[in-house]
Amino acid sequence: MNNLREFSWSVLFTWMLLSAIGLIAIYSATQGPVSQFLPEYIQNNFFKQSAWVLISLFVLIAVQLVSPRTFIQLSYALYAIGIILMLLTLAFGTEINGAKSWLRLGPANLQASELMKIATILATANYLTSRRDISAENVRYALIAVVIILIPTILVFLQNDLGTALIFLALIPVMLFWSGLPYGVSLFMISPAIIVYLSVIEWYYGAIAAVILTCVIFFVQRRLWLSIASLVTGFLTISGVQLAITQLLQPHQIARIAAFTNPSYDPTGAGWNVIQAKTAIGSGGLTGKGFLEGTQTQLKFLPEQWTDFVFCVIGEEFGFIGAAIVILAFLFLFIRLLNMAGNHKHPFAQLVTVSVTAVFFVHFFINVGSASALLPVIGLPLPFISYGGSAFLTNTIMLAICLNMDFYKREFSIYR
Amino acid sequence: MTTGQTNRTRTSIRALQVIIFGLTFIVLGRVFYLQIVEYDMYAALGQENSIRQEYIDPARGLIYDRNGRLIVDNEPIFSITITPSLFDKSNIPLLSSILNIPDSLLASHIQQAQDYSWHRTSRLFTEIDFSTFSAVQENLWRLPGIGHQIESKRHYPTGMKASHLLGYLREANENEYQQISTLRLGDKVGKSGLEMIYQDTLRGRMGINYLRVNALGQALGNFEDNTLTRTPVQGADIITTLDTDLQIFAEELMEGKRGAVIAMNPNTGAILAMVSSPSYDLDRLAGRLDLDYWQAINTDSTTPLYNRAISSRQPPGSIFKPLMGIIGLHLGIITPETEVYNSGAYIRGRAYRDLADIGEYDLEKAITFSSNTYFLSLMDQIATSGKLNEWSDLINDFGLGVPNAVDLPNANAGIIPDSTYLNNRFGDRYWGLGDVLNFGIGQGMISVSPIQIAQMTSTIANGGYRIKPHLVQGIKDPKGNLTNIHPQRKKIEWIKDEYLDVIKRGMRGVVVEGSGRWYANHQDIEIAGKTGTAQNPHGLDHGWFTSFAPMDNPEIVVTAFVENAGFASRSAAPIASLIIEKYFMGEISRNWIYEHVINFEPIDPEANNDLITPVNE
Repeated sequence: MNNLREFSWSVLFTWMLLSAIGLIAIYSATQGPVSQFLPEYIQNNFFKQSAWVLISLFVLIAVQLVSPRTFIQLSYALYAIGIILMLLTLAFGTEINGAKSWLRLGPANLQASELMKIATILATANYLTSRRDISAENVRYALIAVVIILIPTILVFLQNDLGTALIFLALIPVMLFWSGLPYGVSLFMISPAIIVYLSVIEWYYGAIAAVILTCVIFFVQRRLWLSIASLVTGFLTISGVQLAITQLLQPHQIARIAAFTNPSYDPTGAGWNVIQAKTAIGSGGLTGKGFLEGTQTQLKFLPEQWTDFVFCVIGEEFGFIGAAIVILAFLFLFIRLLNMAGNHKHPFAQLVTVSVTAVFFVHFFINVGSASALLPVIGLPLPFISYGGSAFLTNTIMLAICLNMDFYKREFSIYR
Repeated sequence: MTTGQTNRTRTSIRALQVIIFGLTFIVLGRVFYLQIVEYDMYAALGQENSIRQEYIDPARGLIYDRNGRLIVDNEPIFSITITPSLFDKSNIPLLSSILNIPDSLLASHIQQAQDYSWHRTSRLFTEIDFSTFSAVQENLWRLPGIGHQIESKRHYPTGMKASHLLGYLREANENEYQQISTLRLGDKVGKSGLEMIYQDTLRGRMGINYLRVNALGQALGNFEDNTLTRTPVQGADIITTLDTDLQIFAEELMEGKRGAVIAMNPNTGAILAMVSSPSYDLDRLAGRLDLDYWQAINTDSTTPLYNRAISSRQPPGSIFKPLMGIIGLHLGIITPETEVYNSGAYIRGRAYRDLADIGEYDLEKAITFSSNTYFLSLMDQIATSGKLNEWSDLINDFGLGVPNAVDLPNANAGIIPDSTYLNNRFGDRYWGLGDVLNFGIGQGMISVSPIQIAQMTSTIANGGYRIKPHLVQGIKDPKGNLTNIHPQRKKIEWIKDEYLDVIKRGMRGVVVEGSGRWYANHQDIEIAGKTGTAQNPHGLDHGWFTSFAPMDNPEIVVTAFVENAGFASRSAAPIASLIIEKYFMGEISRNWIYEHVINFEPIDPEANNDLITPVNE
């Protein structure tokens, strides 16, 4: 056994802090005065989440007892099992809120796509670090890595879970970047996301971004063809967004986008969630209205306030102080995890830690961004805080793997 | 691992940390912006969201008569409401059995409510009886989406109609919502009569209850222990000048006739009774609107909604003669002793017939027997001496031809022509003596309303004071403080007592020995009056009678006007006389006159009829 002082206690405490805040928020959102408007199975969410936190704590401790090499050895097997579970979900899954992503396993509903996040990260990392000569600079290796990520992405997409599919997609640039993909090419890969975001607001914002990104790529990489490709991709993206908004998307999807750019356009329809979420956060002020005192929360003005809009509950009842504590705790977690990655000698550990950080960050950014109307509403839970057993367990396991590899970093090296 | 790789790793870590740092601070900044910078806006939004104002209608003020008798009060009406989105249609049989109506009727009402709004609450049935209402109340728990509501409607406990005086309430229209900020959709406002003029007094102040609601609009009880709640203030009560018994009696006399009658105190202008006939039933306009009835009274050719007492415009005929006499005396054209010979007609360009006996007439006799010649000659002198405009101004002093001061809507000013009016009417100087001469006998373009004649008669009776006819003498606020309303009367300086003495004697003569001697005289009451006929191109003449009693120190003025009734002496005069008798004696001893009025049939003077001798009226 290693010296326990080498364990990253601060990360564990952050995990505990976030879990505790999550439980408090879920309690308020489901057990407070609002409970009179909620069906019993939702009122029970608090107790279920408490059980999951307890289970996850044991899993977190258990994970610390295995050797980091276990993750390398198990990675492909886990990936295969994950794909099979996802296929089973597609065939026999239960549909909740329009997404067919739950597999009934006895008393619990298992969200295979959550566990698949771990398997995909481990498998891709294993592949990209299995031999020293593998680098993402080589198109063949890069493509294989992309395929490993794309298979679960497509399966999640088929389950109609757009938010989680985005998480998988976000893994591609991060993992390839870490495996040697040049900066310019990495930037080129994420540029469509930035351009889509901006051109949804106004098409010319997207155009300005496309031009700036092309210039940056040219100065970083000094490759003319890449810059031209970037510019062309940028403008194809803008045209695609315009085409989607005007021709392809269903009216309710357009309404969501319109609600994001101008919530007052349809205040009782698609804009409702945006207005209510902003009102909840904004009316919290500096110190908040107090635990169980938030009128937006307790009078059920917020939709899905125990999952996607849990941040609004915190913002309303604990004010800017509470919201800032959550945001800064996450920031600490991200920075700390990236520092861990920097200290690793083994590239697998580096890649897994960076990928996990990226997954957490994208969840965090999209969830809080949606709740504060910085982004269109995309249904993604806030890690460790939102209600959701599978997600909580998965996130904890991912964190636990990072902690494990950090704990054993002295032994875990390619030289041994 | 090479050094290059290590460097790249370190740079990448820093790059990622910088990106995450930056984006996280954007999120933090956004939250700071919402919670700190825009706090005021969102705090207000949050309040609005979860606190709903519920309005509580104040009880509308009551209306009393001069003796403190309640004439208008409020009666509860019970309504069943429905919120279609919450109603389960499988409950239709249960609800219809409670309401004791067929399923199909209930279903069609529900459909109507649903067509109006799926989410909003609307009335399903109004004015249901109390036992049905309680049965529904008891079963509310089994009937989600069904609610109940108690509203009030106006109720008229005496047998008095007074429809034109009291007026009716209707839901406010869009214009009124825009003008009066305290009005809400569905609020009822007075649309005619006192209900309209005293709308603000009677209405009171709306109460507000602050309720906490959830996103589904469900009320969750009071907010902050009612500290914000404003209790409703009930409307102030109105004390009218009406005498209920006299009003009921006047209504009875006017039943079946078209016209108006006004009884007024000549010294104060307090209206004791005012009837416009035909009238309508206020009871049927209270509460839920009876559309068929509303249509019927709106399209009726006899215009029951129209208040003839204050709005009708008719030539006064011979009741104008006393006024002419006063003006002639003031202008110095005549003295009480001036005599004019009646040869059976007044010749001036053409012959003006005079039915009064041939002979010499002084002013008193000219009024008593209504000599046309006397007043045509007087008007002739006024016009030829260039005093037409002065004449017109002097008449205006009596309240004729000027906007009426009565506290009811739609009063008519009438017309007392002057040279400007005639120039406008005929063109400059395209009118002559022939157009002006018959003003002297109240014909031609002169038009007046019955309330104006009552006002004029009061001025003669009260010794030359201009009074303000009014229906309201006091307002009692909810705390019980009474504010009396005494419109000031004003002495018309130029009217001298000696003028009035002659005129009053002439008018007394009308009742004792003139056209009023058959139906207007009462042995114990000194009534003075004057008959008049308003010529009417459509059908029989309209009859006027204006009177006061007793001769010395008059207490009451009664003016009656009956359309298409032929001779005023047997149509209008007995009505006024009976009202005076009722006022002084409390009961009617002259039953034959009462029977005559109740069973009145007009007589056509053009037809050869031996029953009656034609006289000037």
